[in-house]
Amino acid sequence: MQRLHYKDFLLLAMLNRTPLSALLALAMILPAAAVNAQLVVLPAPRLLTTMPMGGQAGTAVEVTISGENIENVTELLFSTPKITAKPVTDAQGKAVEGKFLVTIAADAPVGVYDARVLSRLGISSARAFSVGTLPELTRTAPNNSVETALKLPVNSICNATMTKRAVDFYAFEGKKGRRVAVDCAAAGIDSKLTPVVIIADAKGADLLVNRTGGVIDFIPPADGTYVVKVNDLTYQGGERHFYRLALRDVAGDGPAPRQPSTTLVSAVSWPPPGFPDTASAAETEPNNRPAEAQKITLPCDLSGSFFPAADVDTFEFSAKKGDIWWVEVASERLGLPTDPFVLVQQVTKTGDQETLTDVAELYDINSPVKVSSNGYSYDGPPYDVGSPDVLGKFEIKEDGAHRLQVRDLFGGTRNVPENSYRLIVRKAAPDFALGAWAVHMTLRNGDRAAFSKPIALRAGGAMVLEVLAVRRDGFDGEIELGMEGLPAGVTAGGLKIPAGKSVGHVIISADSTAKAGSALARMSGRAKIDGKDVTRPCRLASMAWPVKDAKQEIPSPRLFDDIPVSVTEAEASPLTITAAEEKVWEVPQGGALKIPLKAVWRGEFSGTSVKLKAYGTGFDGMKEIDLPVKANATEAVFDLAALKTPPGDYTIAFYGSAVAKYSYNPDAVKAAEAARIKAEAEAAKIASEAKKLAGDAANAPADKKSEMANAAKIAADKQKQAEALMAEAAKKVKDVTDAAAPKDIVDIFVSAPIRVTVKPAPEAAAVTAKK
Amino acid sequence: MIPKFRSLTALLITVAALVSEPGRGTAAESGRPINFVNDIVPVLTKADCNSGSCHAKAITGQRGFRLSLLGFEPEEDYEHIVKEGRGRRVFPPAPDQSLLLLKSANIVPHGGGKKLGPESEGYQTLVRWISEGMPYGSETDPKIAAIEVQPSRLTMKVNTTQALKVTAHYSDGSSRDVTGMALYEANDKSMAGVTREGVVQTLDIPGNVAVMVRYSGLVSVFSISIPLGAPVGELPAPSNFIDEFVFANLKVIGVPPSAVCDDATFLRRVSLDIAGRLPTLEEVKAFQAVTDPKKRELAIDSLLASPDYADYFANKWTALLKNKREDAADITANFAFHAWMRDNLLANQPYDQMVRQILGATGTIVSNPPVAWYKRVKEPNQQLEDVAQLFLGVRMQCAQCHHHPFERWSQHDYYALSAFFSQVGRKPTAIAGEDLIFHKRGLAEVENKKTGKKVRPAALGQTPPEILPDEDPRLQLADWMAGKDNPFFAKALVNRYWKHFFKRGLVEPEDDIRDTNPATNPELLEALAKHFVESGFDLKAVVRVITRSRTYQLSAMPNEFNAIDSQNFSHFYPKRLQAEVLLDGIDLLTQAKTDFADLPPGTRAIALPDNSYNRAAPFLKVFGRPEGASVCECERVQSSSLAQSLHLMNSAEVKGKLAFASGRADRLSKADVPVAEGIKEIYLSAFGREPSGEEYSIAEDFLAKPRTDAAGKPVDALRSKRLAYEDLLWAILNTKEFLYNH
Repeated sequence: MQRLHYKDFLLLAMLNRTPLSALLALAMILPAAAVNAQLVVLPAPRLLTTMPMGGQAGTAVEVTISGENIENVTELLFSTPKITAKPVTDAQGKAVEGKFLVTIAADAPVGVYDARVLSRLGISSARAFSVGTLPELTRTAPNNSVETALKLPVNSICNATMTKRAVDFYAFEGKKGRRVAVDCAAAGIDSKLTPVVIIADAKGADLLVNRTGGVIDFIPPADGTYVVKVNDLTYQGGERHFYRLALRDVAGDGPAPRQPSTTLVSAVSWPPPGFPDTASAAETEPNNRPAEAQKITLPCDLSGSFFPAADVDTFEFSAKKGDIWWVEVASERLGLPTDPFVLVQQVTKTGDQETLTDVAELYDINSPVKVSSNGYSYDGPPYDVGSPDVLGKFEIKEDGAHRLQVRDLFGGTRNVPENSYRLIVRKAAPDFALGAWAVHMTLRNGDRAAFSKPIALRAGGAMVLEVLAVRRDGFDGEIELGMEGLPAGVTAGGLKIPAGKSVGHVIISADSTAKAGSALARMSGRAKIDGKDVTRPCRLASMAWPVKDAKQEIPSPRLFDDIPVSVTEAEASPLTITAAEEKVWEVPQGGALKIPLKAVWRGEFSGTSVKLKAYGTGFDGMKEIDLPVKANATEAVFDLAALKTPPGDYTIAFYGSAVAKYSYNPDAVKAAEAARIKAEAEAAKIASEAKKLAGDAANAPADKKSEMANAAKIAADKQKQAEALMAEAAKKVKDVTDAAAPKDIVDIFVSAPIRVTVKPAPEAAAVTAKK
Repeated sequence: MIPKFRSLTALLITVAALVSEPGRGTAAESGRPINFVNDIVPVLTKADCNSGSCHAKAITGQRGFRLSLLGFEPEEDYEHIVKEGRGRRVFPPAPDQSLLLLKSANIVPHGGGKKLGPESEGYQTLVRWISEGMPYGSETDPKIAAIEVQPSRLTMKVNTTQALKVTAHYSDGSSRDVTGMALYEANDKSMAGVTREGVVQTLDIPGNVAVMVRYSGLVSVFSISIPLGAPVGELPAPSNFIDEFVFANLKVIGVPPSAVCDDATFLRRVSLDIAGRLPTLEEVKAFQAVTDPKKRELAIDSLLASPDYADYFANKWTALLKNKREDAADITANFAFHAWMRDNLLANQPYDQMVRQILGATGTIVSNPPVAWYKRVKEPNQQLEDVAQLFLGVRMQCAQCHHHPFERWSQHDYYALSAFFSQVGRKPTAIAGEDLIFHKRGLAEVENKKTGKKVRPAALGQTPPEILPDEDPRLQLADWMAGKDNPFFAKALVNRYWKHFFKRGLVEPEDDIRDTNPATNPELLEALAKHFVESGFDLKAVVRVITRSRTYQLSAMPNEFNAIDSQNFSHFYPKRLQAEVLLDGIDLLTQAKTDFADLPPGTRAIALPDNSYNRAAPFLKVFGRPEGASVCECERVQSSSLAQSLHLMNSAEVKGKLAFASGRADRLSKADVPVAEGIKEIYLSAFGREPSGEEYSIAEDFLAKPRTDAAGKPVDALRSKRLAYEDLLWAILNTKEFLYNH
C-alpha cells in the first residue's frame, strides 16, 4: 500500500453518510505523526490472478495463482461443484506453492465461475474462472512481433497476459470465405485489459480493427495466413491485464457467439422471480413511425432490438381509464451498453388529425442510494443497484388508443443488431430484489482499495454489509434481512429495511473465541406481499480489484455467485465491542435506554478515543458517544422520546473508526528466521564438505585424481545451490520483517448486533388494556 | 467614364478631389429626409467610429461612448448618440458645437485622432442631420436592399489601377452612389490593394483576386483576373478534370506550367503527402525497377491501402477535433478517439458517416469513442462554431454577438445552428470530467441572447425543419450536411484536402469559404465537390483524384515565367515537412528510434494519439505540432524559425540520433560495403534519388577525411569512419531537399 502525504490523508469518510464536522473532529484528534503513516483497512486476503483463467470442460489443467495477503493457502475453491482443485505436489509429495491441478467435469456448463482461495486470513476475494468447450492453450513465450506470432489453431482459446507497451501477435490459417470470429474476453473475466483486436495480413498490415467490444467477425478474402493482434487500448499491461483469445469457426450468418462473462451489479433486479427465459412475442419492423405502430394487447412480454441506428419501436394498444400498467425494460442488465427509454402517449383523433398527449416518460431505475461522485473525495458507494433500464408505471387518463415507444438513448448512430431488449408491460406484481456489499471507508485521494473485501473475519471482529432493495411495482413494505449457513462462532444480525426505505444493514460478527472455519452462507430478505410471506435471495457485489486511485482506474464492480464466509484465529480483531450482557434490551416507548458496552483492545492505538455511532432504524439518530482508547467500558444512551422510536423489535449495532498499530503476520518472521538459520547451517555443512573434497582432490593420487575432482566439483555446485537457498531465506526474512513492522491502519470497527425491544408506553398500554 | 492614372500619387489627388466634390454619393443629393440608418450609420462606419477597436469595443465601448459593431444595431446607436450623456453629444442649435463633431474633427482632443474633417462629406452629413433635429427616420423610409459594385469582374494587368463605383439600391426603387462611403478589402493583399476611396491597384503577382465591398451591412465582390500574359505553349495531357480546370485557368492568365516531375520526386512527394513518411529504401528501388506506365497510380493505391495513410490523416483530424490531453486520466478517451478516427480512415468509412458519428454521438467514450468530442467541446456555442468551421468552412463566431460583417449570417442564424445542440443530455460517469451523452427528449430551441427570443434549429440558409421532441436534432443536422446539394459540406472538405496536397487552398484560409472570399478557381472547387458527393463522400477517392492529376505531379522547379505564381498551381509549391513527418524522416534516415511514453516501441510520430507528446519531444514543439486547442489548421505552425535551424544543427536530440547505436552511421561504418554504396543508400533514403556524379565525389572526399576528437587528436579508423558518416547524415538532413516536400 502506498504511503500518503498528510494533506492527501485527511481521513474524510468513515462511512458515506458521516457528517463532515464529525470527521474533521476525528481527524484532529489523531496525532500528526500517526496520520502521516496511516494505511486504510486491515489487510484482506485477495486472489488476484489465475493462469490460465479457465479451461475446457472435461479436462484437468494446472493453474498458477497469485494474490495479496494470502499465505498458507490450503484450498482453491470454485463456486460450482463441477470444478475441483488439489495442490500440485513435487517429487517429494510436498505441495508446490501457488500451483493447483484443477479438474473441470465434462458436464460443467459453459460459464464464468468464481475462484477463491482459503488462506491464513481466511477466504479470499474472488477471481473469474471460465469454463468453455474449446481446447485451450496458454501462451508461454513473448509474441510481440509478426515473426514471433503464436500459431493459433482455429477453434481454440489462448490464455495470456498483456505486457505494457506491447502488442501480442497470433497467426492463423484462414480459408477464403470461411467465417471466423475472434473474441477477446477481458472485462467480462475481471481483467483490467481494454482489448483492441486487429486482423492483419501476413505481414502485419491492419485489415480490420475492433476497439469497443473485443470481437471481430471475419471472412478471409483469400486462403492464407492472417495475423491477429491484441493490445490494450492505452497499451497498459501487467499480470492483471490478462485475456482469453478465442478463435472459432462460425456457421451461418447469425451473430458470432461470445465468451461468457460475469454479471453486472445492476442485474440484481433481473430477471423478476419465476420469469420465463424467452419472450412470448417479438417486435416486428418497420415500426418506427406512428403510422407503422405494431398493435399489441396488454399485458405483454416482447423481445426486440435497438437496430438499426436511431431505431424507434412503436407499439399501439388500447387501454381503459384508470388502469395502471407497469413497464419494465431489460437491456443494460443483460450486459449491453444501452440506455433504454420508454414514452407512452395517448392518441386522440379528430378526423384525420391525430393528437398525441404524453402520458409517461420512463428513464432509469434509480439507485436507492447516492452513488459516489467521480470527484476527488468519496461520497457514496462506488456502485449501486440502479440501471439505465426502465422500471416504472403509467396511468391511463382516458379510454382509447395509446402508443408506447422504446428507444435506446445511446443508439442514435450505432448499428449493432446485438443490442437487444426485453419489454414487459404488466399489472402490478409487487416484489423486490436485493443486493449487498461491504461497507467501506476511504481517503480523499481516490483510494478505493477497500472496496474489494471478502467476508473474511478475524476472531472478535465484525463486518457490515449494506443491503439495497430494488422495489418492484409499488411494493413498499418492510423487509427483514437474514443470513444463514455461517461457520461456527460467527453470527449475523439483519437490520431490517423499513417500509418505504431501500437501505438496510447486515452485521456479521465472529466471537473472540471462534475457531478457524469457513462456510457458504446465504443471505435473503423476507417480506409480506399481499398477505403472503415472500423470501428473496440477496446477491453479493464487490469490486473486482483493489483500486488504488479511482481517478486513474475505473472501478469495476460485479455480482458474485455465492457468499462464502470465513473466520480466522491467526489474527484477532484489534478491537472488539460488545454489549456488556448478551440479552434483549427492553425499553418503554419514549423512555431512556442505557446499554453498557464492553471493549477489548488488542495492541496499540493512536488517538484518544473512538467516536461511536449507531446502525439501526430508530436508533441511528443517536448522539455520538466516546469510547476512550484502552477503556474497557462505556455506555450508550438513547433518548427514545427524542428519537421517536415506535414500539417493536430492533437490532442495532455500534461502529466507529480507529487507528490501530498493526503488525502483519509476525509469526512469519520467526518461521522465516528459523528457516534461514537452518539454511545457513546446511550451507555451512555443505561448504565444509566441499572444502574437504576440494583438498582431497588436490592431494589425490593420480589414478583417483579425476574421480576426486569430479566429486569436488559436484560438491562445489551443491555449495552454490545451498548459498542461493541461504540468500533466498535471508530475503524472505527481510520481506516478512518489513511486512511485520508495525503500521498505523485505520479501519471500521463494529460491535456485534444487539437486540432491543421497545414496549408500548405504559399509558398507551393502559389505554389499550381498557379498551 | 473611368479616368486613367499614371501614378498612384496622381490617382490619390484626383480621388481626393472626386470625394470632396459636393453631391457625389451624399445623402443630401436627393433632398429627401435624412435617415439615421441609411445616411448616418455609413458615415460612422466609414470613419471607423464603430470598429471593434474603437467605440464598438465589446461591452465597454470607448471612454463611455459605445456604438454597435459596424452599425448592426442602429437603434442602440441612435440611443447612445442622441440620448445618452443627457444629450451632450449633439447640439442642434449649433451643430458644429456638438461633441460628436468636435471629437471626430479632433477639435476637442480625441483619442482616435481626426476622423472627419469639417470639409468632409461625412461631417457635412452629420451637421445636416443634427441641424434637422436628429431624425431617426420613419418606418416608411426606403430601406437598403442591395449594393452593386461596378465593374464586378475585370481582367487587369499587373500594376494597374481601377476605380470602383458602388451603388446602393433601396426598397423604393431608388439608388445612390455610395462609393465614398463604402469599405474595401482585397482577399489577397499580396496581389491587390484598394484605397479608402475604392481604387484598386494590382501588384506584381498574376492570378485571381477579389475585393470585398461593404456598405450598410451588405457586401458585394469585385473579382479581378490578373494575367501574366506569358505564352503558355503545350500543356501536359490532362489526367482528369482537375487538370482541365487548372490548365484552362493557366491559359487565361497566361502562366505556363512547369513540366511533370520525375519518378523519384513523385514517389517521395506522394509518400509524404498520403502516408506522412519518406519512401523506404526498398520502395524507392522497387519503384525505380517498375516499367508499368501506370506505376504512379499503383503507388497511389498502395499508399492509400496502407495503415500509414490512416495514421497520417487521423493525426490531422484529431488535432482539429481537439483531442487534447489536459489530465493524465484523459489518456483512455484520447487514445480511443484517435484510434476510432484512424480505424474509420483505414476502413474508408464515408466522410458523411464519420461526421454523423461525431455529431450524433451518444453513450460512453469507451463504447462509442466519438463521444470524446463532446468531452472536449462542451458548450453548444462552441459545438456549432467548431462544426461550422471544420465541416462547413463557415466561421460563425462573429455572429454570436452581432451580424457577421462579411457574411449573410445573423445572430438568429447563429442561435438557430446552436439549437441543434440544445438537447444534448449529459450524465456523469465514473471518470472525472467525462460525461456520457444522450439525446434529451424535448423541443429543441435556444434563447437568442440578444433578443431573448426562443430560436428553433435551422441549418445555414434553411427554414427550420420539423423536429419532434423525440428526435435528436443533431441527426437532422447531419442529414442536411450530407445532402447532395449542401453548398458547404463537400466544398469545405475538398478545399481542406486540396490545401493538404498543394499547400494552398482554392479558398484561403481553407475554412473561411464565403461569397466575399471566392476561390481562385471556382469551377475547379465546384467540380471537386461534385466529384466528392458523387463518390459517396469517399475520402480516398478525393486523395486519388488529386494525386493522379498532372497538376499535382508538376515539378516544383519553376520555368522562366511561373516562379511568381503562388495560387494557380502552375508548379508544385514546396512545403516544409510537418513536425511529425520530419521526426519520422530523421529516424528513418539515421535509423534511430524516438521512444514515446505509453506506446509500443517503434511507434512513429505521425501515429501519436494526442498533444501530450509535444512536451516530451521538444522536436515536435519546435516544428509546430499543434496542441489540439483549435479547430483551425493554422494552429500547426509551418513557418520556419531560428529555433528549428538550431535544433536540426545542434540539438542533443538530433545528435543523439546521428550517433544512435546500430543506427545508419554506426552500421555503414562497420559494414563491409564500399563507401559509394553507403553514399547511395543515404541519398536514396533521404531524397529518394541517387546522388549525382558531383555529389558522389564530394561525399567520397568528405568521408575519406580522417576525423579528430574534441582535443584535436586523430581517432581510430573505425571511429573516424563512423563520425564521417554521422557528419554526412547531418549535412543531408540539414538540406532543403530533405526538409521540404517538393
